[in-house]
Amino acid sequence: MYLIKKSDVLRLAEELGKTHDLYGPFMEPATKQAMFERVGKAADIDLAAPIPALPPKHALLPHYEKILAYSYDKKTQKVDLAPIYDDRPKALFGVRPCDLTGILCLDRFFLGQEFLDEVYKYHRKNLFIVSQTCVAPFKQCFCVCCDGGPAASEGYDLNLTDLGDTYLVEAGSEKGKKLAEAMGLAAADAKHQAEKTRRIDKCITLFDSVATDNKAWISRVMNRVTTGFIDEAVWEYIGNQCFECGACSFVCPTCSCFNIVDLPRKNGGAHESDRVRTWDSCSYEGYTREAGGHNPRKPVEDRRNKRFFCKLSYSQSKKYLRPGCVGCGRCQWVCPGDIGLPNVVTYIRREIHS
Amino acid sequence: MSYKPGVCTFCGTGCAHLLKTDNGSVDGVFPVQNHPVSRGRLCVRGWNIHELLNTPERITTPLVKKDGALVPASYDEAIGVLVKGLADRKANAAEEIAVLASPRSSNEENYLLTRLARSVWGTNNITLDSDSGHRNSLDVLAAGTGMAGMTGSLEELRSCEYVLVAGIDITKQNPIIGSEIHYAVRSGATLVTVDSRKTQIARLSTSFLQARPGSNKIVYAAMAKILIEENLVDFDFLKKHNDGFEGFANSLGALRDEDISAKTGVSMDAIRAAARGLAAAKSAMVFFSSGISGLDADTISYIYNLFLIAGKVGRPGCGVNPIAGINNLQGGYDMGVAPDLLSGFRPITDAKAASAVSAAWGAPISAKPGRGVHELLESGASKLTALIVVDHDEGIVRHAERIKTIPFVAYIGAYKNPFMEYATVVLPIATYIEDDCTFTNTERRVQLSKKKADAPSGVLPGWKLLSAIAEKSGSKWSYASSAAVMDEIAKITPTYAGISHAKLEGTFGMQWPCDAKNPKGTARLSIEASKTFTFAPVSGSFEVPKPTGDFPSLLMIGKAQHFWHQNNIMRKTSIPLREYNTTLLLYPDGYVDITADEAKAAGVRDGWPVNVVSAKGSMRVQARVTDEVGPGAAYVPYFIQEMISEFLLENVDILKLGEDATIPVRIEKV
Ligand code: SF4
Ligand code: SF4
Ligand code: SF4
Repeated sequence: MYLIKKSDVLRLAEELGKTHDLYGPFMEPATKQAMFERVGKAADIDLAAPIPALPPKHALLPHYEKILAYSYDKKTQKVDLAPIYDDRPKALFGVRPCDLTGILCLDRFFLGQEFLDEVYKYHRKNLFIVSQTCVAPFKQCFCVCCDGGPAASEGYDLNLTDLGDTYLVEAGSEKGKKLAEAMGLAAADAKHQAEKTRRIDKCITLFDSVATDNKAWISRVMNRVTTGFIDEAVWEYIGNQCFECGACSFVCPTCSCFNIVDLPRKNGGAHESDRVRTWDSCSYEGYTREAGGHNPRKPVEDRRNKRFFCKLSYSQSKKYLRPGCVGCGRCQWVCPGDIGLPNVVTYIRREIHS
Repeated sequence: MSYKPGVCTFCGTGCAHLLKTDNGSVDGVFPVQNHPVSRGRLCVRGWNIHELLNTPERITTPLVKKDGALVPASYDEAIGVLVKGLADRKANAAEEIAVLASPRSSNEENYLLTRLARSVWGTNNITLDSDSGHRNSLDVLAAGTGMAGMTGSLEELRSCEYVLVAGIDITKQNPIIGSEIHYAVRSGATLVTVDSRKTQIARLSTSFLQARPGSNKIVYAAMAKILIEENLVDFDFLKKHNDGFEGFANSLGALRDEDISAKTGVSMDAIRAAARGLAAAKSAMVFFSSGISGLDADTISYIYNLFLIAGKVGRPGCGVNPIAGINNLQGGYDMGVAPDLLSGFRPITDAKAASAVSAAWGAPISAKPGRGVHELLESGASKLTALIVVDHDEGIVRHAERIKTIPFVAYIGAYKNPFMEYATVVLPIATYIEDDCTFTNTERRVQLSKKKADAPSGVLPGWKLLSAIAEKSGSKWSYASSAAVMDEIAKITPTYAGISHAKLEGTFGMQWPCDAKNPKGTARLSIEASKTFTFAPVSGSFEVPKPTGDFPSLLMIGKAQHFWHQNNIMRKTSIPLREYNTTLLLYPDGYVDITADEAKAAGVRDGWPVNVVSAKGSMRVQARVTDEVGPGAAYVPYFIQEMISEFLLENVDILKLGEDATIPVRIEKV
């Protein structure tokens, strides 16, 4: 445990920026929207920016990414395959606890199952994560309902907690410890640790008055979702409101659906192509429908059902080692149908009560 | 910080987005939370727009046809071919030259295209592709209120108390407007949907009036009649602001009560409740489809008149709202892209306006309205010999045979498409992210989209290319930038007088009229600004298509709703394309929607092949059994054009009518 003066905290980012592509939260100047993106320099980072509109997921699973280049030589009939791996060292600075939890879910999905995702693995390889404790929630947060925050307990290299004039700096890995030591940070003691706990407790009490947009008592509905006993009319009610835009998946820190397409290379020769991976969504009809075949999840309500099974069932939680929702509230923000996860949880609870 | 703000250019909603543009590739998109309309949302198209912007199918070099094949050329050579082709026809330009403009082009591009057509090439034959429905709407609203555009404001929708969705599949066509309607309902508004198909918005409605195909107009007329009979007319409002109420009221006499339910299939009680709800609400908006096909002028007139007598025009939270399916359809009309219009929706016969325009252009323009390009293509008698097409969608493919016979065809566009093959000369232009430009959404909101990427090497932005064409034709234009083009638009267009790129920068747009009186624009038509509202003339005819014994079902042809399916730019994406075509995976031969009862009567099940037989021909498709259509109705999506085009060609007169047009058919088991 270390301490760093508040006015000095971006020195950590600056140091990381020397060896890493630096990502962090900032207010996009034209739209006044908090984003989490690659920054030009450490000073661009604004740790006080509200929860960013997009989670840092895109640093590991980009919206649109070339993952393979291939060409075919007609004469020799040779196919040349060149995977494109991105193992640039990246530092994510000021990650919110919910988003860090999201990355851990992605890790378990892409790296923890029978199939190891090579592309993700390379993205993840040289990642340095600096998380920050939330000392106050934002309007749409409900991480406390699903153990996604407001403080990180694992997965970071360094974790920052705002103690007023100073930040408490905790190392969660050897890498993190090395950086803190190299920066010559002062040591913190039990008093600072106690102050951190006090601030987290304070944050939790603030949810009542500040985080007013969403509540989602997910533990109440998990059993129901897992057993599948929810009345079809509830899914129909929810499904009727889905505009099939895909946004809920795109902004979700734990959603991992993707699509693969092969495209002729831009300005390339006749037999040169790129394989591109893009975000996809279970809300899209085409995502689950096979050519010529019968779609196992045809109606839109069934696809919604699928999404919430993924977020809220025990079987899925076994894969993530936690619920698939970290409580960031973003899906509620972006949903044209007003059926973000918190509302869906409400509708399922309503059904349980009746 | 690679996410840069801009505007989604798929549909007329004009949602704001942030595009991730790195090293010439567009690697992602994200919504903008503070935009007053889109408020942090995008639809399936908007969320995947980078797939289009990254397509390898760009036109990257000018092409000239030599010995029957298109070969690369320099701009200089290609522009030379175009200029010569048109100069040869200048003497008879009004007969021989026509320009098909695009509702996707920016305001600056479309404005300059009208300048080229009228002042350089000497023709007023200039039309927006896929235009008909929107023109009908603008004509009715301009004549009635003086505002040639949506009279309401989308920002006020959330506080609106009563929403009427008049036959628009809005959650598919303009999803984010559909979302705002949904929010209004969730905050307590009453939503009434009148349609022949049970769309998603119908399912989300407080009340859904499923009218028989071809009878929707009667529902609006009946609502008006009920308001008058029950004395629910806003007489205070009418006394001050109306012209023509008596005439309209009298014309409703032809609609007999006992016919209403019989013709529409909707109960009088439901219509009465809908009418009373409209009268009782403090604010009300109506939404209907515009563009591609949209509604016919008569139906729009009844809708507008209904809102007038309810006193729901020009007041807070009120609006008669034609919804443009394509991003800059409204802007295209604002720029005067029509045979008979100058910018600002002024008739070309308006001598004062015309002289200001020709003074700015330093060249005379003809006061004689031109002819519509579709009309010229359809008429065997037309003397058309040169056609210039910009960035076309699929609307003109039905004229393919005719176009092949036109000696000189030029294509100007950013993306490759099959139409290029007809061209004598092809000129590439930059896309909207490769230069500064403005677009006007369906609620008259003019938004600036800044340059975010470089065009492929050597490819010119539209304003530069059009200037170069003018110059080679002997007219020296002196615009230094696209912003300078907007300055000239502002100078000669009263509704845009206060608009400039500098003023738009850093804002989420301004709604016209924007002038000295309204320097920040005008969100909504207001009673204060327009003293009188005039009732729209109506036909007084309440005929409905009658099925016969041989052809007992009324077939609807879905055009607007399915526009995106066959759209040339959608074909350059992966995910939206996949989504628009998923139904084809289950119904690879195309489908006709019929009710379960109808299917039973025909002895078929979902997915079985059927013949759809009309008096003029038949087509074979698969049956899709659904509750989306009502009894006696059937529905075919137009997007499966390849499969059903012959059938539709035989019924081509129907296709030209509005969305509510029908063909009597019978469904036969194969
Ligand atoms: S389901 Fe919604 S609230 Fe939960 S983590 Fe995903 S985006 Fe956030
Ligand atoms: S964000 Fe909402 S409308 Fe969009 S796909 Fe998800 S649930 Fe459906
Ligand atoms: S509603 Fe229209 S403008 Fe908005 S994201 Fe969709 S296509 Fe783009």
